[in-house]
Amino acid sequence: MSLLPLMAIARLTVRDAVRSRLLVSLAVILVIGLISLPLLISGDNTLNGQIQVILAYTLSFAMSILSAVTLWAACGGIASEIQDRRLYLVLTRPVHRHELWLGKWLGIAGLNAMLLSLTGLIVSAMIAFTLNVSPESAIAKRQAREHFLLARMTVIPVAPDFAEQARRDADALLQSGRLPAGVTARVVEAELIKRYQDRRYSLPPHGAITLDFPLPVSIDNGHDLILKYAFDSSRPERTPVSGEWTISGGQHDSLVMSVTNYPGIPNTVLIPGEWVRGAPSIHLTYQRLDAKNPATLLLKANGKEPELLIPAGGIAMNLTRGLLIILFRLGFLAALGLTAGSLLSMPVAVFAGFFIMTLLALSGYVETVASSGVFYVAHEGPAPTQTWLDAAILNLFKGLYGITRPFLRFDPVPLLQEGLRISWTVAGQAFVWLIGLYTTLTAVIGIALFNRRELG
Amino acid sequence: MSDSPHLIIEAHDLTKTFLDFWGRPKVHAVKGITLEIRPGEIFGLLGPNGSGKSTTMKMILGLLHPTSGHLSVLGQSPRDVAVKSRMGFMPEESYLYKYLTAVEILTFYANLSGLSGSVRKETVNRMIEQMGLQAARNRPVGEFSKGMARRVGLAQALLNDPDLILLDEPTSGLDPIACREVKDLLLNLADRGKTILICSHHLADMQDLSHRVAILLEGEVCAAGSVKDLLATPDLIRLTLPRPSREKLSAMLDYLERETGFRPGVDHTGRTLESVFIETVSRRRIAS
Repeated sequence: MSLLPLMAIARLTVRDAVRSRLLVSLAVILVIGLISLPLLISGDNTLNGQIQVILAYTLSFAMSILSAVTLWAACGGIASEIQDRRLYLVLTRPVHRHELWLGKWLGIAGLNAMLLSLTGLIVSAMIAFTLNVSPESAIAKRQAREHFLLARMTVIPVAPDFAEQARRDADALLQSGRLPAGVTARVVEAELIKRYQDRRYSLPPHGAITLDFPLPVSIDNGHDLILKYAFDSSRPERTPVSGEWTISGGQHDSLVMSVTNYPGIPNTVLIPGEWVRGAPSIHLTYQRLDAKNPATLLLKANGKEPELLIPAGGIAMNLTRGLLIILFRLGFLAALGLTAGSLLSMPVAVFAGFFIMTLLALSGYVETVASSGVFYVAHEGPAPTQTWLDAAILNLFKGLYGITRPFLRFDPVPLLQEGLRISWTVAGQAFVWLIGLYTTLTAVIGIALFNRRELG
Repeated sequence: MSDSPHLIIEAHDLTKTFLDFWGRPKVHAVKGITLEIRPGEIFGLLGPNGSGKSTTMKMILGLLHPTSGHLSVLGQSPRDVAVKSRMGFMPEESYLYKYLTAVEILTFYANLSGLSGSVRKETVNRMIEQMGLQAARNRPVGEFSKGMARRVGLAQALLNDPDLILLDEPTSGLDPIACREVKDLLLNLADRGKTILICSHHLADMQDLSHRVAILLEGEVCAAGSVKDLLATPDLIRLTLPRPSREKLSAMLDYLERETGFRPGVDHTGRTLESVFIETVSRRRIAS
């Protein structure tokens, strides 16, 4: 493959977009959208909420706009150039069709890189501006900085090994003959381990739980750690729960913090970084103090155990890695568009491309259907019997889920919104999956179709 | 079938049938044509609309694939990318990127042709000069007149100094002077050993330029041969002489009628409108 025509086609794609004012128009739309969205959406009227709106809505907006434009440009990159016959002059040159295809893809990727860089700059400027002009207290600003201007790694408590105990108890249960016939030891063990793990977070009135968190990176930069947790209650009433967190394991004496929480509501506690400086792990003990709420609670809500968010880098590199993942997603969409354009004429190619994009946007619903096996809910009456059509649709959804999974797995927006670290490993995995596998496969199909296509 | 090394384009029993969505034959655009085009010749492909000229040209360019028959271009399959480095093509319409300038477009096609560095720059500048586009070199071609865009189209076709040049209506949209210049350029290229295949409706241009022509009708070659042979009417000759007096002319005609048994026709030889136009405009330009 010759690099000269490849790069010439890539440059032409960018230059054509610049000259046709497509790039300028998009940049203007992005700037207006990115600046106006946080002004239009108020969030929860806190500084944290405002920054979350900037990160979540603006990045999602940029991703949606760029996805649509990428598909349009990619479909048009081949289909419309065949239609208006500009490709005649290109393909009567000593240029392989795969060089043309890849050159177009590179050009679109270049355009996306430029627009994503602009997005990154605007989002960073918006966060800095919001933090500076906010009328909130210095403490609130510090908390917001700690929360969002750092990339944090999530650490979960060390889980005791329940395997041996589960094996013993499962044997005893099976020998007792109290279980239905046909139940295997493996199923019983798995169920028991789940129960023991849940029981570990069980918190009766005046009860206490101790959690050990390893600290994989040394805490010596003075930034705070964030403990995230929530209670779950079997009772519908939301009576507040009072208690104390005792933090130990650092060089200092234990630190005690009193908290009052409501079941079902996520809570955060800032742990001074100075307190745990250099410690390899910390121990957190929660002690329930009052008995106003007689219910036994779970220190675990919606299946999520308490998490410790520890500082592991700055927002700049985190945002860069997040934008890189978005670039990889757009790279796949560009490949889809070019493939549609290689096979179909212009309006049909765009329609097909947008259909696939809609499908990807619905990947959350697809996941729910594929994993739960239910694609509608009967509110009244007995559950309907599953027909062969239901089974076929379910299998279709499972297939779609398999295909669209990387889009769920590699979505940087929720992580950035929560101030969570996107590691180079995750960015690398996104590259391998989205570019190395999905884009390459799509490109192979697209180039094969394009090679077979006649230009009449 | 072995390809003759002396033929630039060799087509035998070439057929192209377009199919519909279900794979059924829709249009038989080309029906078993045979063409042999030799080095250094200007070959004209004539025919009314829908006769199969463009389809034949697209097969030669490798844009369409023959349904059956044999086709070789410069001794290779037209789908072979390597053969395209020795070809240049100017389509009927100027299918150019309208937001790019003349220099940018020529640089782009030069890159595609594998020209790089100073060679590319020098070639682009030479073509701009040769086509008289110096004043408009940095203007987007979207702002060009049709004639100027045709010149850019011709320049890009000649960028890689091709051995085979394919031109679809090369003089369409050009004023008579530019048309004459293009024709002179093509004759000059043929003199330098380049092979030129032209599709055109302008029969006068084809007559001026082509060494041989093929006339296509409904996908078949219905006449082919050298222009001289096709135009010749073997039973008649034309005698041209300075205008004699009325008496002398009458005597000559009587004599010829007696000798041949056929009363000869008499008319005045005239100039073409093209020659009058070129002469008038050139005289005015020189004067101003």
